[in-house]
Amino acid sequence: MADQGGSAHGIARTSRVRTEEQRKVELDKIAKYRELEDQVRSGVARGDTSPGLFQLTSKLLRLNPEYYTVWNVRRRLLTSGLLSKSSAASSPLTVSLTASPTATTTPPSAALSSSSLSATQPSPASPTAGRSGTTADSPAGEGKVSAADATPEAAAAAGQKKDFDVLKSELEFTIPLLLDSPKCYWIWSYRLWLLQQVIDRLSVSMARRVWQEELGLASKMLTRDRRNFHAWGYRRHVVAQLESPRLGGESMVEAEFEYTTRMIRMDLSNFSAWHSRSKLIPRLLDERGADDSTRKGFLDEELGLIREALNVGPEDQSLWYYHQFLILNLVNPVGHPTLTPAFSLEDRVTYVTREIQDIKELLEDYDDVKLIYEALLEYTLYLGQLQGRKLDGAEKDELAEWLQKLKKLDPMRNGRWTELERECGLVEMEAFET
Amino acid sequence: MSEKSKTLPKELQLVASAHVKYIQSLDTRKDEYEYWLTEHLRLNGLYWGLTALHLLGHPEALPRTETIDFVLSCQHENGGFGAAPGHDAHMLSTVSAVQILAMIDAFDDLEARGKGKAQVGKYIANLQNRQTGTFAGDEWGEEDTRFLYGAFNALSLLGLLDLVDVDKAVDHVVACANFDGGYGVSPGAESHAGQIFTCVAALTIAGRKNLVDADRLGKWLSERQIAGGGLNGRPEKKEDVCYSWWVLSSLEMIGKTHWIDRDQLIAFILRCQDPENGGISDRPGDMVDVWHTLFGLTGLSLLEYPGLEPVDEVYCLPKSTTERILGK
Repeated sequence: MADQGGSAHGIARTSRVRTEEQRKVELDKIAKYRELEDQVRSGVARGDTSPGLFQLTSKLLRLNPEYYTVWNVRRRLLTSGLLSKSSAASSPLTVSLTASPTATTTPPSAALSSSSLSATQPSPASPTAGRSGTTADSPAGEGKVSAADATPEAAAAAGQKKDFDVLKSELEFTIPLLLDSPKCYWIWSYRLWLLQQVIDRLSVSMARRVWQEELGLASKMLTRDRRNFHAWGYRRHVVAQLESPRLGGESMVEAEFEYTTRMIRMDLSNFSAWHSRSKLIPRLLDERGADDSTRKGFLDEELGLIREALNVGPEDQSLWYYHQFLILNLVNPVGHPTLTPAFSLEDRVTYVTREIQDIKELLEDYDDVKLIYEALLEYTLYLGQLQGRKLDGAEKDELAEWLQKLKKLDPMRNGRWTELERECGLVEMEAFET
Repeated sequence: MSEKSKTLPKELQLVASAHVKYIQSLDTRKDEYEYWLTEHLRLNGLYWGLTALHLLGHPEALPRTETIDFVLSCQHENGGFGAAPGHDAHMLSTVSAVQILAMIDAFDDLEARGKGKAQVGKYIANLQNRQTGTFAGDEWGEEDTRFLYGAFNALSLLGLLDLVDVDKAVDHVVACANFDGGYGVSPGAESHAGQIFTCVAALTIAGRKNLVDADRLGKWLSERQIAGGGLNGRPEKKEDVCYSWWVLSSLEMIGKTHWIDRDQLIAFILRCQDPENGGISDRPGDMVDVWHTLFGLTGLSLLEYPGLEPVDEVYCLPKSTTERILGK
């Protein structure tokens, strides 16, 4: 399975020899850790749902945020007492973390049958249900339900206020852990579970306020590591939820598109941002109600942007993948969203031909960059496909020349070049040369 | 090691016996804090270590009966397995449990002393989202194509794939495809070599490999090999031994392993060995761990490095295991 943490990434190999003193210190650390673990386990075994046990889980998770079972203990403590009982939606498996790019039309997260999971259902209502007790370290939350909340409305409002405080405090609890372990799946997934509770338990306006702050967190995490795919996925999910009718939202596609522009300007090599851009564009154009000439103008601008980038960094794969995305829109418009559906075959041929010409010009400054030859090869083959014709002699000569270059510049992938040579019917030519 | 590998120059030799000893030592490190911090990965770790030992030709290096006892001690009433006794059931540890039992031919013990195959199948099948076809990792709902692949892997080994909606799951995988031929963790997510492995392998198990754009994906995957011979997992990222599995197994499934430089990758993996104490790390000179040790060895096995048992590129198990169970 993919990396679940616990593996050593980028830590220098050192000698495993410890002094007796170091060994003693480590054994002491182990003893303390195991004692804490024992306390949590025995608390769970006795059905303890008190804030005391909750605090022990905080302590343990700070030592080991990968301990998924303890995150689950925490969830169960929240749903069996620390959060109010008002929500019908606190059972497991009601949260779908799959971000959808078309969130505005996606129904609320799919609930799976939870009856079949009875063996691991949270424990039934606890004797301390309704008792206040909220935050990671100070369970005396501000939203106490007291005798003063006599009317049902007041009680419901107080319940919501209490849940708001509990959930906010929980969200804060995970922040330092995420900053320390930004690739820990369990923290991200716990946080998303909390945010689902926010939707299920709080009023739309309260919930929206909470979710809006998540965008800031996603940005912060992406400032620290521009390629963290957990953070990008989180951002997509947060945006999809903020756009959804459940949070009274509307499309954020313009703002998100702007965000990718900012990220790309900061670092042209950020393929995650280019990828995100490629996913947003079809929606962006639809929602702008872009007509054919606007779409053409948009494509021209994107091609201009990427060409400018390629002029300074032709050895950057990220740029070429985005360029390929734009070209595929011209070559292979069937079966996926397209930027310029009204383009005639002639338009497409003109565009691809022009791109090939521009890329050839790149060779004047960079004749030893293999990605340029790869693009030329690929796009020349596309052009033939687009026009439903076989390549002519001049084109074949060019292909043969580029393949020779690739074999020299990029011998690691010789197996690929040789195969391509054969597929293009160029093998005889090579035999002739040698 | 075979005679052939002994004739290789020193820097191209696999220190096989050191790796065996390293893996055997993993459960004796109870005086190290790290041992306790990684208990949530114990069952996965056992799978990683045991598979590595099988590929090294030492399947007996961990005692069989104790292995079965430990695996069964992690099982819950609902059929799922936790990472260790006292840990909640999860898809990832359940898949590891099934893979371990498959490897040591112990499904009979699961029937006789555990909760039985059917219960395991039911646990996994209940984690499918019947609306979208994808799978959650556990009752709390995190969804990821890793879990979908894990479900297909374990259920097909148990002969219970018909418990789930395979077509829906296939649709979901297709929805995770990107223009570059790769796949992401969910629809809309960037292509990532680990996720590509899970998606292509899931489609292969479902008999729908025809849905993969093999040419475009092959190009993307072959570009993962960078100067120094190692593979990265996404464009413009650093190389890491674990991609010797995610990238290479995917290339193997689409018949394009020859699109990268075999010898350079072998040399890179071997440079990541700890020649004295055994084990393989992410990059040369880093700390070793059992996870990178397995994926270095599976990479070498796919590249037909002499003396290693062949690995199944879809299941990440010895080929002898999948041949015995699936007759493939």
